[in-house]
Amino acid sequence: MAATSLLPKSLSPFLTNPPSFPATHFIKVSFLNPVNHLYCSKRPNIHTLVVHAKKKNPWLDPFDDGDDPDMEYGSLFADGKQEEDPRPPDNPNNPYGFLKFPKGFTVEIASLALKVRGDVRRCCCVVSGGVYENLLFFPVIQLLKDRYPGVLIDVVASPRGKQTYELNKNVRWADAYDPDDHFPEPAEYTDMVGLLKSRYYDMVLSTKLAGLGHGVFLFMTTARDRVSYVYPNVNAAGAGLFLSETFVPDSMNLSDGGYNMYHQMSDWLGRPFRSVPRQPILPLKVSISRKLKEVVEGKYRNAGAEKGKYVVIHGIKSDSKASMQSKGDTDSLLPIHVWAEIANGLRGIKPVFVIPHEKEREDVQEIVGEDASIVFITTPGQLAALINDSVGVIATNTAAIQLANAREKPSIALFCSEEKGKLFVPSAQEKNSVVVSSKTGKLIDIDIQAVKNALPIFDVSFALV
Amino acid sequence: MRQCSSSSGLFSGWQQIGERKSKRGCLSKANALPDWPLMAVLVEHMEGQRDYVIHKSIWHLSDNAIKDVYTLYIMFTCWGCLVFGSMKDPYYDSEQYRKDGGDGTGHWVYEKQEDIEESARAELWREELIEEIEQKVGGLRELEEASKK
Repeated sequence: MAATSLLPKSLSPFLTNPPSFPATHFIKVSFLNPVNHLYCSKRPNIHTLVVHAKKKNPWLDPFDDGDDPDMEYGSLFADGKQEEDPRPPDNPNNPYGFLKFPKGFTVEIASLALKVRGDVRRCCCVVSGGVYENLLFFPVIQLLKDRYPGVLIDVVASPRGKQTYELNKNVRWADAYDPDDHFPEPAEYTDMVGLLKSRYYDMVLSTKLAGLGHGVFLFMTTARDRVSYVYPNVNAAGAGLFLSETFVPDSMNLSDGGYNMYHQMSDWLGRPFRSVPRQPILPLKVSISRKLKEVVEGKYRNAGAEKGKYVVIHGIKSDSKASMQSKGDTDSLLPIHVWAEIANGLRGIKPVFVIPHEKEREDVQEIVGEDASIVFITTPGQLAALINDSVGVIATNTAAIQLANAREKPSIALFCSEEKGKLFVPSAQEKNSVVVSSKTGKLIDIDIQAVKNALPIFDVSFALV
Repeated sequence: MRQCSSSSGLFSGWQQIGERKSKRGCLSKANALPDWPLMAVLVEHMEGQRDYVIHKSIWHLSDNAIKDVYTLYIMFTCWGCLVFGSMKDPYYDSEQYRKDGGDGTGHWVYEKQEDIEESARAELWREELIEEIEQKVGGLRELEEASKK
């Protein structure tokens, strides 16, 4: 039997029936049969049934006929998810000292094995948008971490969006580079390309809608899998050449999708693969460091609030860049006099007004009163720590709502319309969140009495605390 | 060999000028260094023959050379002012100027922000892990206590 396996090519034409070939201990039976390649291309019915309906881009690899249906993955092929530690076992008998990999391990083709297995060791996420979009990307990062154990995840985001990763323990490096900038400075651009290339990523994810330009940018990172959203219109022309997987969003603005704005990407990332079942996407979670908590505690103490005895009010109208709105919902800030009215309804709990810029402080003091608790916060990390120590949150559609849900705090979310509310806070009841939406489609016309009626949810948790 | 000079003896220059009848109009002409041999020519003298000039002590400097000399002089002066002026400057003796370069790691890269953030996130990860373990241990303990009862 060993002799036949040494001379496969001359023998195989006679072995037209592979199952009769008693090769149970061989791993790749089909490899011995050169006719097999024709067989797989002649059997498209299996493919169309098994593989998802998405059309493959024939330009990427004209010789890629898809997975070999006769391929048997035997004992030599490690199954399941990747190992957390990519290091092969040490070989203490190696005479070369530093070359501590075992016999037969070839460094040169190690990446090939990664490709066959679909492992991802280093992954880069290029996230477009501000704080809100980056915050909603957290579940995707968690999914990556669960699906590919031991993966090192780096993030490239705009300077504001990058601040969000203070709250994420799964990220290694976060680099500030604005992917939404249409005309980046050449020096910055080349610097970032070089930086990403030199980190040797296995996979690059991008949530910027890619055209040819962004496709080329991702291509230049020389990552194995370049996965990106593309424009849903003609602007996507040519981007597919440089990307190995593309998603077409529902509209030009990805943020319109609300909480599940990255659902195509997370569907694809969590797809079942060989023996690995579909990876479920977990709800948004943030982690807050001790240092951050201490800093913020000092801040709200100074403002005259006590731990567990205040409600965070976020979403004061301002032209500040730090208002943490979603790009998908531009009408999401209320002027201070509306907030003052809502805060009047609070009994026994102190409202803490979060201002995105120091110039708002005077307005708040003027309308609410000199003794109002005002905290100046621009970063999502501090906002999360503030929410973590509070009873609950009253906010418009800003990152504060998502942070409250992530920290399991009761919240009252004010939305400009009911549809937006459903999009951005799905299954509000489970999250202990009340969505109050305006009837007219404009946030300013919101029914203040309805908000006041929802206020008792804080009393319940207040009693529990 | 004998020396020819502008004056025959020291301190005789002034007198010489005084004695001489100047045909040109300049009466106020004075020799600054009267007894200093500004030009000394050493000749070899032989009777009945021309004198051989064997040594000439004067330097004729070209314009360029003069410029170089003055440049060097200015540079030297400036250097002197800086060096000797700074010898008692408290700034140059201070830690700010005299301390070792870099941040103590041996390489001179000052862009540390991302490293700091990265280590902060790693720290956060460890914190969460410890919390999780504590919760699990607490849960186990509760279970144990419940089973004991």
